[in-house]
Amino acid sequence: MNWKDEVRAAFLARAASVDEDVVEELAQHAALAYERAMADTLDPGRAERQVRNLVTEWAGDPAFVNRRRRRTAAQVPPPESSSRLAGLAQELRYACRLLWRQPGYSAVAILTMALGIGATTALFSLAYGVLFKPLPWPHADRIVRLYETRQGATNRFGAIMTSAPYVAWRERPTTIDGLAAWRVDQVMLDTGGEPARVRVAAATASLFPLLGVQSLLGTPYSEKDEAPGGQPPVVLSYGLWQERYGGRRDVIGRSLQLDGKPRRIVAVMPRGFLFPDAETRAWTAMSVRFVKGGLSMFSAIALLKPGVTPAQAASEGTARARSGPDPGVVVMAVFGSRAPARITVVPFLEAQTADVRPAILVFLAAVGLLLVTAVGNIAGIQLARGTARRREMAIRAALGAGSWRLVRQALAENLVIGLTGGCCGLLLAALLDRALPSLLPPAFPRLNDVRIDLLVAAFALGLSLLASLATGVLPALQARRVKVAGALAEDGRVQGDGGTGLRASRMRAAIISGQLAIACVLLLGAALLTRSFFSMLTSDRGYDPTHVLTAMLSPSDSLPRAQAEAVLSGLLERLQGAPGFTRVALGSALPLTGMEIQASFPFRSGQTGATVQAQAAARTVSRQYFATLGIRLVEGRLFDASDTKTSRPVVVVNRAFAAKYLGDRAVGQKLWDDTPEQPGPEVIGVIENVRHRSVTDVPAPEFYRSFEQGRGGGVPLTLVVKTAGDPASLARTLRALIRQHDASIGIVAITPMETLLRTSLLQPRLYSVLAGSLAVLALVIAAVGLFGVLGYAVGQRTREIGVRTALGARPADIAALVLRQGLVMASVGLALGLAVSFAVVKSLATFLYGVTTYDTISYVAVLPALLVSALLACAIPARRAARIDPLEALRG
Amino acid sequence: MSPHAVTSELKRGSTELLILALLEERPRHGYDIARLIDERSDGEITFHVASLYPILYRLEDRGFIEGRWVERAGQRRRRYYRLTAPGRKFLASQRTAWDTFFLALNRVARVRPV
Repeated sequence: MNWKDEVRAAFLARAASVDEDVVEELAQHAALAYERAMADTLDPGRAERQVRNLVTEWAGDPAFVNRRRRRTAAQVPPPESSSRLAGLAQELRYACRLLWRQPGYSAVAILTMALGIGATTALFSLAYGVLFKPLPWPHADRIVRLYETRQGATNRFGAIMTSAPYVAWRERPTTIDGLAAWRVDQVMLDTGGEPARVRVAAATASLFPLLGVQSLLGTPYSEKDEAPGGQPPVVLSYGLWQERYGGRRDVIGRSLQLDGKPRRIVAVMPRGFLFPDAETRAWTAMSVRFVKGGLSMFSAIALLKPGVTPAQAASEGTARARSGPDPGVVVMAVFGSRAPARITVVPFLEAQTADVRPAILVFLAAVGLLLVTAVGNIAGIQLARGTARRREMAIRAALGAGSWRLVRQALAENLVIGLTGGCCGLLLAALLDRALPSLLPPAFPRLNDVRIDLLVAAFALGLSLLASLATGVLPALQARRVKVAGALAEDGRVQGDGGTGLRASRMRAAIISGQLAIACVLLLGAALLTRSFFSMLTSDRGYDPTHVLTAMLSPSDSLPRAQAEAVLSGLLERLQGAPGFTRVALGSALPLTGMEIQASFPFRSGQTGATVQAQAAARTVSRQYFATLGIRLVEGRLFDASDTKTSRPVVVVNRAFAAKYLGDRAVGQKLWDDTPEQPGPEVIGVIENVRHRSVTDVPAPEFYRSFEQGRGGGVPLTLVVKTAGDPASLARTLRALIRQHDASIGIVAITPMETLLRTSLLQPRLYSVLAGSLAVLALVIAAVGLFGVLGYAVGQRTREIGVRTALGARPADIAALVLRQGLVMASVGLALGLAVSFAVVKSLATFLYGVTTYDTISYVAVLPALLVSALLACAIPARRAARIDPLEALRG
Repeated sequence: MSPHAVTSELKRGSTELLILALLEERPRHGYDIARLIDERSDGEITFHVASLYPILYRLEDRGFIEGRWVERAGQRRRRYYRLTAPGRKFLASQRTAWDTFFLALNRVARVRPV
């Protein structure tokens, strides 16, 4: 029974024309009503009469018959154009209109694209600015960093060079055009009010000509200024010049107080000159000379002659170092070894970024994976839309559109999404770029060179085009394979579609599994980095930083040592017993401050009698120091009231010192022999190793002198205060008490120790947070994709679900069917992800502490995270499937 | 007359409410709406099917519902109607009006809605 003809005929009997949409809708209702009437009466004749009466009633209503449904303007595909460019422009306009009409889908696709491109562009701008952007100096590619090492060196001072090889090479260079050296320090700048702590580089005069930099004002100091005498010169950075002198041009010749000493301003450097880092505010003159029995250490660079390789220069440097003057046993204090020197030469950019290069490259790969996930999502959605729009494509093909035209249309839509997403992504990258200085550790190299510039914008554009192509390829291929006859069948059912729908479904399932695999890899990386970070945070450093306030002091340089010690002793007494202060102590080089003094001395073992040249860090601390910081005693005793200026000098050593030099019976041995001036210090106790810099430090030998005995060593300048409550809340009290005691004591900084600890862990924390964010984003994108795939699959299987329900399947069985489909995709993704992870996570080994790359807990934690996310994504489609009305499903 | 029968006066005003309430749950096509009204009211509300579509079209013209042809693989295309945002507001106002009406009825004639 063709109810469409019946309804049309009834309507045309009363009107000249009818709305075919109305006819079709009513005809479907008539067909369903007929089926129901047949089921109720089992009489075809009666059922037919009932429905015909209904049709007659419909046709009897004039308003009904003459209704013309308001239609939104159909989006007519543009006609074929003779010009390819004009054709593409038309397709793009058509694509924009189509996307405008589907705001929900368009927003999701553009947002997904923006997230992927934005994150990738932000990381690219960081990678380019830090690792690849050329340094802003002429012949920067020939500037190299020099390192001096010796076999067996303990490398306590990192990448340095000493005066002997520097001087030897400076006198007879053949592979280099010059050498320069520098050393950075924190000094007190007299501002007229509270002194400010600034970072200053003491540098040789050769630095500025070697870098090829012209000063903005004045002339930098020359070699004759390196000699002592007269008012020492200082060169200001552009930033300091602006802040302190408002950019005035009459600043040359003025005086500036640094650490209480007047210096003459001789030059101002141009904006953008940031050497050796962005925090350096000024440069003072430094000379490098060879002094027999002594040495100085510093950082050094050289300018290679054109055509010379770093290896050739290293060869020459090593030869000069070994043939130059021998500094003697003092090298033990620096290197812990007297083996012949070896000079290593590394391009400056590579040396400057060595610490952060591996991390940046790993995270660049990680955001690349995120972008692949985002692109996969959009490709999957486009595939589903392509299947749903095959009727439209078939009509266009039937009307003469060639396959290239259909492909072009598919690509045009993706191009619009890609470029729009790319623009939004670039904005997102710009926002992230602005936030970088607050997110990255303060010492992160070349941060000032990270910006969104034309190159980065071009990268974002290229990435958008690539992503558009990637998301458009599959739907474009799908469009080419449209079977016109099948797609145009009257009831819309696809007859033998050649498997296009099935192929697209399989492709979508494969994309989802791939996305989940990527999410698994990123999740695992994040889990490992997070475990590593927490391991660092909770690791035993040998001291307890909780409820500890530190204050770095700077007494006047004009005070004799004895007077300075008396001032500090008085301060200790004053602070002891102050409200909120449980214990007070002094120390010369606290943990996390980066300060250290190395000593080297001949040591004769009391056990074996052998004499070795010992190298150890030397610290001076007051009696309460160990108790204040919770440093544990292992053997013997700590300093007490019996250790005075007149008693025998004593020292406390750490476990590493005892193990290396003292053997089993450390207590009672002497560090060095008695001299006519004073007896050699006796070891009275052994403390647990303290990790002063980082938790990853290998403990090195240390010995501690008593401040109260006041013999030798430096004056300890850092106060350590154990507080009853929150140390930050007592900072102001501490400052006031110090001022009250002696207003001439400079206070460099008052900082809770936990703040210092957090700052030291900024980098691992950043890695953990970044990896976690990328992993969560990837998981969300994959889960959204899974949700979409299953929702679409439920729609496609509605009839099948109806049949199953009619045959007795319960809602729980239907839900399980859908869940099984989703979990299969998730399981494949998980298995693939774990397999890839085994290979990929090796690249994280250098960033991990306390966990291995095969950490079981991390692997096990990823499993439930992925499965729970997959289950959540499957839940709604499963619920929808379980609630499908079988009657409705079967009626189709 | 059955004490539970609903008068035709009440029926006319309530038809729109019924349709909008059914569409609030999920989008439906015309036959589905008619069937559900019949099933869920236990047969007490069986307005003439012929009047269903004019009411649907009127609601569509007023912007309270939106009709869309939906084509699913393996099925005929059907015209589904969904509730729009103005439609939701109108439904809420209708419900309030009916609540008020029944409260008044109860006060006067002790008639309570179930």
